[in-house]
Amino acid sequence: MLTKKEEIVDKHTEKNSRVAVLNLAGKRSDKWSLLLVSVGETRDRQAFAQLFKHFAPLVKSFAQASRHEGWFPGLSEDLVQEVMIKVWQKAAGYNPEKASATTWIYTVARNCRIDMLRRKSNTQHLPLENEDFWHEPDEETPVSLLRQKRSEDKVQASLAQLPKEQDEILRKVYLEGKSHAEASHELGLPLGTVKSRVRLALQKMQILVAPELQDELIHDH
Amino acid sequence: MTTKLNYHPDHAMLVEFAAGTLDTAASICVSAHLHFCEQCRAELLSLNEVGAQLMAEATPEPVDDSVLDSVMAAIDGFKPFKALKAEQPISSSFPFSVSKLISDSAATLTWKRLTASVDIARFKTGQRAYEVALHKICAGGKTPKHDHNGLEFTVVLKGSFSDERAVYREGDFLLRQPGDVHQPMGAQNGECICLSALAAPIKLSNPLGFLMKPWLRINPM
Repeated sequence: MLTKKEEIVDKHTEKNSRVAVLNLAGKRSDKWSLLLVSVGETRDRQAFAQLFKHFAPLVKSFAQASRHEGWFPGLSEDLVQEVMIKVWQKAAGYNPEKASATTWIYTVARNCRIDMLRRKSNTQHLPLENEDFWHEPDEETPVSLLRQKRSEDKVQASLAQLPKEQDEILRKVYLEGKSHAEASHELGLPLGTVKSRVRLALQKMQILVAPELQDELIHDH
Repeated sequence: MTTKLNYHPDHAMLVEFAAGTLDTAASICVSAHLHFCEQCRAELLSLNEVGAQLMAEATPEPVDDSVLDSVMAAIDGFKPFKALKAEQPISSSFPFSVSKLISDSAATLTWKRLTASVDIARFKTGQRAYEVALHKICAGGKTPKHDHNGLEFTVVLKGSFSDERAVYREGDFLLRQPGDVHQPMGAQNGECICLSALAAPIKLSNPLGFLMKPWLRINPM
């Protein structure tokens, strides 16, 4: 157990380390991404244990947020185990240029959660795992780390500023695992309203360029 | 591949794909499109960050130390460690998920004549909502004019085809809904192969279309 003081310090560093930092060499240098790299490169068990302590409780919380049909609370720790074992196995393939450790581990957790549900519900076996859907072509062009980093910061900063009704739908979709149609049914809103709230949220986070900005961009060129 | 594509899944679909709430058949089609589309791949990197951020901001759920112990025990079992290498796609020109479906069903995948110019090969995907299949239109092949009884997703994997509205090239993603009547035609310069997911049989516009009915039954499997 941590003492109160350590906990506060820990919270503080966590907060800072979530902000993906770039060092002078233009490398990603937040704490978790560095730990994940060293798990991948040197099979560093201590680094892995640190990652576990930070991410396992987040993955468990993600598991418990699930409102998928067929999901029950008993699956949460199974998911934590499966995800953390995958993290160990796949760490060598982690590319810090592309995503922060948090984003990478989210994708592992999402894929495992879907695969668990598919295994439970399929009468016949689907020969694909969810990560197969995310397989990248060999000729993938490298992403600009700087651009990537800017986008992460934007998402992080603007997510907290979203109006409640947009935030609510993103949580339903990403954490509870509801489709837009299910969310519209639950909230008693037309599907179009759900979609437009998601769209507005994406525009605020600058994942989507707002139509008026798009016009400006076109006029610029 | 870096050619700019004209037809993409809409943003709502990409959000569902990033959140893992898109159903299996549609996910297969989106993943096929991603193989060709750098723009959508880039958008998904940001959409993953949204999920990651929501996960990271949730209240952590305490995980019992015994879980860490059993994960550590499990990873000890992996020694000597071998990095899991990404599997090589079976046919490099096809998207990974499609190649994997093809190689998995190699024993059962058979081309069947649908009309004089269209062959079909159906995949087993373990879900009941959609028939997922490859369609092959021969060079210059005309297909019957038809309407749709349910949603239909199509991704061009090889060659191109056209209908009354436009020409669709490798990687283009199309969504057809009830009321969308069209008559696809294979390009003159070679055969066209498409991946499709069909929720209900198509509706032929020809008054004698009912004669074709037995051939048009869909087969989700």
